[in-house]
Amino acid sequence: MLVEHARTLAGISDATHAEYNEAGTPIVTLLACSLNGVDIDITVLPGTRLSTIYGTRTATERTTCTYGLDSAHSHIVESFGMHIAAVDELGEVRAVERDDHPFFVGTLYQPQLASAPGAPHPIWRAFVAATAARRPHVH
Amino acid sequence: MPTMTVLIDSPPTAPYHVATIAALRHAIDLRVDRSSFVIDVVRTDAVDGIGDAVVIGPGTPYRDPRAAEDVITAARERGIPLVGT
Repeated sequence: MLVEHARTLAGISDATHAEYNEAGTPIVTLLACSLNGVDIDITVLPGTRLSTIYGTRTATERTTCTYGLDSAHSHIVESFGMHIAAVDELGEVRAVERDDHPFFVGTLYQPQLASAPGAPHPIWRAFVAATAARRPHVH
Repeated sequence: MPTMTVLIDSPPTAPYHVATIAALRHAIDLRVDRSSFVIDVVRTDAVDGIGDAVVIGPGTPYRDPRAAEDVITAARERGIPLVGT
């Protein structure tokens, strides 16, 4: 999502993900400290869709990420409709969303790892609701 | 019948693949209209259409990263719900 945003909207036409070892401008790069298999505390920013979804200001999430947004390009996630929706304890971006779209959410953690039968993660619950809303004959 | 396209390259038995599909089902199963949802799991190098909603699953590097980007662009431009994890 970040590379697509950089390429198509933020004017970085050669944006790349460092994992691919392609020539270009790496937007997503290897984290200094891998977060693979780590629980992180996130702060959801007020006024965002994610704050409505969570209904709380903070949450603990499991992440498997070893790559993240390159700090030299962090400004792109506050441009062209994209906004930061959550940060971690270090202030690093952990979730983004778009304000020009019915439901467009990206996380640098895995909410699917905190879901259980009868207790779905709120992001997935909201996502399914948004899908149904797009098809108004579904209730 | 809304189709939710899950773009994920890891094998169906991979933990994050299993968790992604399970999490969607957990959310769908709480709805009275749960039987109307279809989950379509596709690899990035085999994507053909994006349905009514898109999940960009975990697991880079993707087999076809440009195809994944094209799906994201299409979802963004068409207002199709999308979650990327």
